[in-house]
Amino acid sequence: MRLVVCVKQVIDTEAENRLDPASWRVDRSVNCILNPYDEYAVEEALRLQEAHGGEVTVVCMGPAKAEEAVRKALAMGADAGVLVSDEVLAGSDVQGTAYALAEALKGLQFDLLLFGNRSTDGETGCVPAAVAERLGLPFLSCLAKVEVSGDTLSVHRETEQGYVAYQCPLPAVVSVIKGINEPRYPTMKGIMTSKKKPLEIKDAGALGLDPSQIGQTGAKTRVLAATAPEPRKAGTKVEDDGEGARKIADFLASQKLL
Amino acid sequence: MSDKNGILVVAESAQGRLANVTLESISRARVLAAALGGPLSVVVTASDAGPLAAQAARYGADRVYMVESPEVAVFRPGPFVDAAMAAIQAADPAVVLFSNSPEGRDVAAACAARLNAGLLVDVTGLEVREGVVKALHPCFGGRLIAEKEAVSLPVMATVRASAFAREEAPKEAERVPLTVDFGPVGLAAKVIEVVSERTGAISLEEASVIVAGGRGVGSAEGFVILRELADELGAAVAASRAVVDAGWMPHQSQVGQTGKTVSPQLYIACGISGSIQHRAGMQTSKCIVAINKDPEAPIFSIADFGVVGDLFTVVPALTEEVRKRKSGS
Repeated sequence: MRLVVCVKQVIDTEAENRLDPASWRVDRSVNCILNPYDEYAVEEALRLQEAHGGEVTVVCMGPAKAEEAVRKALAMGADAGVLVSDEVLAGSDVQGTAYALAEALKGLQFDLLLFGNRSTDGETGCVPAAVAERLGLPFLSCLAKVEVSGDTLSVHRETEQGYVAYQCPLPAVVSVIKGINEPRYPTMKGIMTSKKKPLEIKDAGALGLDPSQIGQTGAKTRVLAATAPEPRKAGTKVEDDGEGARKIADFLASQKLL
Repeated sequence: MSDKNGILVVAESAQGRLANVTLESISRARVLAAALGGPLSVVVTASDAGPLAAQAARYGADRVYMVESPEVAVFRPGPFVDAAMAAIQAADPAVVLFSNSPEGRDVAAACAARLNAGLLVDVTGLEVREGVVKALHPCFGGRLIAEKEAVSLPVMATVRASAFAREEAPKEAERVPLTVDFGPVGLAAKVIEVVSERTGAISLEEASVIVAGGRGVGSAEGFVILRELADELGAAVAASRAVVDAGWMPHQSQVGQTGKTVSPQLYIACGISGSIQHRAGMQTSKCIVAINKDPEAPIFSIADFGVVGDLFTVVPALTEEVRKRKSGS
């Protein structure tokens, strides 16, 4: 089975996120990690590979240092990586990102393309659907279970009440949610061998990308300003003297919430 | 200048009712339509769209496009994208609003890709200035609010639940049935089974009151008292990451940076210390109440009302208090 996983490098969830005031882009000079949601997608691909054989390829778009995120996926067990990286891609919005990824993916043969259902920094959760649309493939998102039998995909999509089970022919595109599995930690051996696994870096020219569709110039949305909201202030704090619940109820009533 | 005019809201529904976020979007779209000119249209997609159309009219739609088919009885991205695209072609709007739910994002992202148009995601503010739509988008869990605009037409945006008020404004809406040729790619995904394990469960994003528990709740069983309070308040139950990681509550109940972002009218945090990652998912709540044993817990720094105390005594007492006041005794 030919499996491809799209991953992103994001700002460490422990680091302070900020926008560069000159460009309104995410400041990526801080510590960066493999998007936590993508670890579930990589793990799911590795499990499908263990069950059905085949290859797992990781595709990432980002600056040169995003190679670390690809290497992490390789250390987990993926076989090969592709890093789509070019100065001209910086500042791409959802459409620019989906376009560049889709063009890179057209050069790969796959049965199943997996995404994490969103990133912890951009948080749009829109790139998987946009890529699937550009590739003209069936798409199912927010999956809590993924199984393959022959050329049929069987999945569960989480809903508020439970789940919906779908079946779909391959090739297809999916996004998976946190909790679908328990992502493995890379072993020491995995980390050592990841350094020797093939990792191809492709720039905009190699992919034949239309410059008018990518980067800040191709972006179809723009940030005009970014301001910190008025910080929330602490309100009333009381010790529970046996009257705590009644005081909360009084407060809620005063706010017309009860 | 483009001929595009008016606003189209792509409705989301469940069990024959429009989602709250759709009603909020229609209410806001009415204000935008007044500023921009042009009609306010809504597209409803369901196996039985009549009740949805009536509801859209009650909130002020001038025109309701109805896509009715057994193919759209249960959500799947492909046919819902085709339905939204058919309405976009029919209405030729200047602005298209979707809901920022998983389903809404699936449809919005695919429509935007098909039109190669910009998509403003997770907006909490929409206004018209000098004839141009400006959107507010909280980033990094609300620590920054970005003002954005689209540079392509139509302007497309996904709207966060609870960002706008719901307001009825009944109208005689024109009903326009749309016949849609669903594409084979979208139809390839077949619905096999719909399983409801938690009937009546209120979606966290849609809930106007949320009772949330953290590590202080201590166990899965500890959530029983939170659920009782939630039932009394008509609230949804949420959890912090520690709780979900410990397996006390399901993943879809997690609020925070690696979970859901919510902004209910009232968020009651029980035994939640309030890490920066948790606050990222709930600090835009209109009102926050915190119950925690630790007087130094960071949650108190953003709580409108805090009680330093044992949640195992305060929560059941609060449930009782709410019950008493509701029955008027």
